[in-house]
Amino acid sequence: MASILFLLFSTLTVLCAVGVVVNKNAVNAAGCLLLCLVGVAGLFVQLDAYLLAFILLLVYAGAVVALFLFIIMLLDVQGRQSFGFSGITTFAGLMAFALLLTGLGTIAVKGHLDAPRLNRLAAEGANLKPYAQQLFTTYLLPVQIIGFLLLIAMLGVIVLSKKHATEEPAK
Amino acid sequence: MDITVLQNFAANNLWGAIMPEIMLGVLALVLLVIELLFPKQQHQMVPAAALAGLLCVLGNVLATFHNPYVATETFNGLLRHTRDGQIMRIFFLLAAVMVCLLARVSLAKQAMPRVEFYHIVLVVTAGMMLLAQSNNLLLLFVTLETVTIGLYILVSYYRNNSLTLEAGLKYLVMGALSSSLLLFGIVLLYGVAGNAALPGHTAQAMHYGQLASFLAANPHNFLASIGIVLVLSGVAFKIGAFPFQIWVPDVYQGAPTPVTAFLAVSSKAVGFAVLLSLSLTVFASYGWLLMPVLTFFAGATLLFGNVAALTQHNVKRLIGLSGVSHAGFLLLGVAAASRAPMAVGSIYFYLFAYLLASFAVFGVMTHLAGANDTDQELDHYAGLAKANPFLALVLAVGLGSLAGIPPLVGFMGKLFIFISAFQAGLYGLIAVAVIGVVISIYYYFGWIKAAFFETWATSPEAPAKPARTPVDLVTGIALGALALSTVVLGFYQGPLGAWLTPR
Repeated sequence: MASILFLLFSTLTVLCAVGVVVNKNAVNAAGCLLLCLVGVAGLFVQLDAYLLAFILLLVYAGAVVALFLFIIMLLDVQGRQSFGFSGITTFAGLMAFALLLTGLGTIAVKGHLDAPRLNRLAAEGANLKPYAQQLFTTYLLPVQIIGFLLLIAMLGVIVLSKKHATEEPAK
Repeated sequence: MDITVLQNFAANNLWGAIMPEIMLGVLALVLLVIELLFPKQQHQMVPAAALAGLLCVLGNVLATFHNPYVATETFNGLLRHTRDGQIMRIFFLLAAVMVCLLARVSLAKQAMPRVEFYHIVLVVTAGMMLLAQSNNLLLLFVTLETVTIGLYILVSYYRNNSLTLEAGLKYLVMGALSSSLLLFGIVLLYGVAGNAALPGHTAQAMHYGQLASFLAANPHNFLASIGIVLVLSGVAFKIGAFPFQIWVPDVYQGAPTPVTAFLAVSSKAVGFAVLLSLSLTVFASYGWLLMPVLTFFAGATLLFGNVAALTQHNVKRLIGLSGVSHAGFLLLGVAAASRAPMAVGSIYFYLFAYLLASFAVFGVMTHLAGANDTDQELDHYAGLAKANPFLALVLAVGLGSLAGIPPLVGFMGKLFIFISAFQAGLYGLIAVAVIGVVISIYYYFGWIKAAFFETWATSPEAPAKPARTPVDLVTGIALGALALSTVVLGFYQGPLGAWLTPR
């Protein structure tokens, strides 16, 4: 049962990820991204990482992709300008693809590891409390740093997008 | 989890140990408050406040250089305070002071908001200081992202210019790619080190010490070696080492000049601080893998940076590509560091020499730039020696030091690196580096020639030069101090040299 679910979700994830890249229509691509994230969330659920799955659905699938769709519709991108690939770009792309396949093949052949038993991890990944305790004790410093990160990100959005009229006399 | 265990964890969060970073964060917030409270006419005091605050923090770090936290781990192993970490703190603070000084000159030519620039510079500097002291892959990633996101904003700050926007976009895409490589590597290492089937497995695989002991127990693990190569690649993006240098010329040209200096000096230095702490402690048992990778990086970076810089006419692209070759020199030091005891010290000495010389050159560039910050050609330097002998002198000293001309500090930096590479037996790389130095003299002196010597073949429709900014007192003193210390430290390293290269 578990392996069937795993195959189902991983196929969904990979196919939708391909769909994001291949799709010419930006709205459809965003839809594929949404389904891809749902697939990943399903994989997380199978690993008993319920919180991660929930956050993935809530934040990424719910908020971020919805924002993507808003922006796509606002800009009205219709995929009409399709860039033709020049010869050298196609060649480089094929080379990169071949390298990627070789790398994946090597990992699949040589990188085998015996699966550890996960019976102990399940208890910690399943609910919110251990996460919260870790965040407020061991990882308090990174949390604070991320606070500053979000602050400068917000400032950056304001600086880079707000219309700054020449209200200041340029002197 | 038991409540007392949690209390013990919380008690290990010794906030006093990161006082300089906290002070910088508070200072950054104070700048925003100043912008809120005071009318627009008084916003000129923001750069002054930022500079004064930075100097206070610098004084604090210098006064508490030998504090009790040195050589201990705080924040449950997230941070490890070392003497090298203290040196890097001073380095980033000095760089931030210079960036703020240059930003004052550069922002005056643009109709852009001012306060946010200083705020982001301060937060990014605090992030770099923490990054150089991080002892945990999780904190490494969080601080690295703080630094990188701040730099994304700073790079595209002059957004009215299309080249700047292009630079911002390229830096964003390349930064995302490098972060994902780094993250893949971290995840692989974490996953392998947590595997209960392997000897020496650990649940705290993010911690440098734990990871190092796991890697020492499994010296030829295939997945771990892939993780190491990916982590190194992610860091190599930040320092602009050869296969990952593709973003350097465009981003350096498009970014505002003070930000170009920030990228060239601080961002590169933080990459090397991370690279040193990773390669000397965590990945030390994978020397069979590190040596070929670092040797390749160093050799290719040295050659590429110098050869590519030969044909450049835009000075920002030129200094970007020459910065790539300096990264090659530093990588030579990193490659030597596992075998030569003085290599680490000589890398820090080289970084300081690079800081002094680079900011001298960038200071001159900022004064010569017009309203279009991306348009800085070599031709604009024609007649600089006559028009402004002070700036021309600072430029000559800075460029001479970057090229490694004997009495200047850049020469001593290169010499220390060569000595440690010789001790480590990296003769092939030394040969490549010498060829690189010879090539670099050509383009650095082409620049000096443009500033000092009249060109005879002036075409009748010579392009108009942008108006040069006169040097104000504070910036003049700072640039003079940079040039002076470049000269003096070349003759006499004294206690500073002994302090930086004691190993």
